[in-house]
Amino acid sequence: MNLTLLSSEKSARKNSSPMGNDKKNQSPIIKLENINKTYYLGDEKVKAVQDVSIEIFKKEYISILGASGSGKSTLMYLIGLLEIPTSGNIYLNNKNIAKLSDKQLSELRNEYIGFVFQSFNLINKFTVWENILLPVKYRKKEIKFNPEKKAEKLLKQFGIYDRKDFFPNKISGGQQQRVAITRAIIMNPKILFADEPTGNLDSKTGPEILTILENLHKKFDTTIIMVTHEKEIAKRAKKQIYIKDGKLVKKYL
Amino acid sequence: MKTKNGFTHLLNTTFANFKRNKVRTILTSLGIMIGVLSVVLLIALGLGLKNYLKEQFENLGSNLIMVMPGNVFNEEGGGGANFGAGFAGGANFDEKDVRNLAKIPEADYVVPSSFKSITIEGGSEKTSGYIMGTTEKLFPLLNNQILVGRFFTKSDVQRKSKNSVLGITLAEDLFTTPEKAIGKTIKAGNQRFKVIGVIEKTGDRDMDNSASVPYTSTFGKLNPDKTFFIIYLGTNNEENVTTVKEKAKKILLKRYDKDSFSVTEQTEILSTVNQIFSIVNAILIAIGSISLIVGGIGIMNIMYATVTERTKEIGIRRAIGATEKDILSQFLLESIILSVTGGLLGLILASLIVLAIRTVFPAAINLLAVVLAFGVSTIIGVFFGVFPARRAAKLTPLEAIRYE
Repeated sequence: MNLTLLSSEKSARKNSSPMGNDKKNQSPIIKLENINKTYYLGDEKVKAVQDVSIEIFKKEYISILGASGSGKSTLMYLIGLLEIPTSGNIYLNNKNIAKLSDKQLSELRNEYIGFVFQSFNLINKFTVWENILLPVKYRKKEIKFNPEKKAEKLLKQFGIYDRKDFFPNKISGGQQQRVAITRAIIMNPKILFADEPTGNLDSKTGPEILTILENLHKKFDTTIIMVTHEKEIAKRAKKQIYIKDGKLVKKYL
Repeated sequence: MKTKNGFTHLLNTTFANFKRNKVRTILTSLGIMIGVLSVVLLIALGLGLKNYLKEQFENLGSNLIMVMPGNVFNEEGGGGANFGAGFAGGANFDEKDVRNLAKIPEADYVVPSSFKSITIEGGSEKTSGYIMGTTEKLFPLLNNQILVGRFFTKSDVQRKSKNSVLGITLAEDLFTTPEKAIGKTIKAGNQRFKVIGVIEKTGDRDMDNSASVPYTSTFGKLNPDKTFFIIYLGTNNEENVTTVKEKAKKILLKRYDKDSFSVTEQTEILSTVNQIFSIVNAILIAIGSISLIVGGIGIMNIMYATVTERTKEIGIRRAIGATEKDILSQFLLESIILSVTGGLLGLILASLIVLAIRTVFPAAINLLAVVLAFGVSTIIGVFFGVFPARRAAKLTPLEAIRYE
């Protein structure tokens, strides 16, 4: 079961209808309704996100493009249940997340959502292997697959299995980001968030990481939401959302 | 299985953190260690004091009544505030009192005794001890057993004979062994006494370090006033103790003011002394507890620093599914482990110290001390850990993960 997991998901995709065509019949997996996020920097009121409404469907590959300070990251963290909006509603599978407890939200972050960050955000006192299996420690329910086998398989696939007992600060940035991706997908999330995933990487490893993310999207139908300030990278996604001064805009720049 | 997995991870994280901050961890635990050490040690010493007193009194019969100067142990007098004052301003009993008290029909023993702290010479040695002027009835009354030789007798008292019976410590100090003491002469002041017997160890240090002689023979240089420090009354029947006490009081009141003497059962003395030491001990423990609280504040301080340091880590954990409760447990566990480790070390160190002093003093570690060491250090860990842990748990995931 565990070893066949990847291939069975692949075959499942074949049976579904071609991408994008059935969107209108589906309900969105995430829906933002008039979302505002305001916070205070000292006495200054910052309207990071203003009146944003978005619908995100299954199997989408979306980029959120905006200049630094445009509110794009805040928007991503709102969608990713890491932040609570000041006003407006977020629905996840038609469920209003405002009604969910911390425990339920945490459970969703654990099982349903994966994060990849610009600065990798690995915990340096744990080895690569321990970092990857960290989400397993917070799983409250039974796990129906063997996470260690899965981690091994992914690490081998990414060519960094020999680094499994290294500490994150002893391996290269590209390797660290691969570890971070492995950690993000270990629990088979439906949605993967990537916040400037290539921001700290050189021009060679950056595209490699993007390819890995895109392969995940293609192979496992993972919904990918990527935040970036680079137009070229944003273009690789099937759908782009432009954000400026916290508001959605039709065109970028 | 799952909860075990989670808890193992909590422990692993805790030890990974301790390993990264070895010096800090040790210093933080040290605070609690010192606190627990001082509290446990004080309890042990208090217990030792009680044991010591019990030893002192245990060998005396339970039907023993003591007539002493001062009102220290009178029920009406209460407390121990005028312990010294009582002795100083108290009555000086003499042979007339002894004769009067001997008229109590229920009193089977009426034994006067004088104590003189003095340098005693014997053989080629010299030591400080006591000369106890008393009668032959003291020995059966205090359950003394002869080790070698014999006790002095009624006729010794009547004849004012210069015979003495030594306590074991005194005999050994002067003549190395009790056997060698027999027949030798000891000298106290200018008086010489022949050693005719040595008493088995009584447990009462003063008694063991004294030479008992017929009181009649001390009337002179050793006891010029012909007074007694104490008059022991004894009954063969326990039921008569109260009667004897009351009658003794009535007799003595004819000659003395009610505040200048006391008539006490030895068990009363024991409980009064115990009471005094319990209070002293409680105060000492309270003072010792201050260092425990200081240790706890040390833990709180470090935990706050740790939360700040690990804000980003907290954010990462939250992003991958840690609940507020998971974070709270993590930090709480760390503070408890810090505290309990300190407590355990304090307990071990206290045990070693107690073992060392047991050779000279009957200090003891009881269950209370152990329970207290663990209980209190756990409570301190929880109490001083919960505020930092809550701060950690209440950080919003985004706030935490963006923290640099």
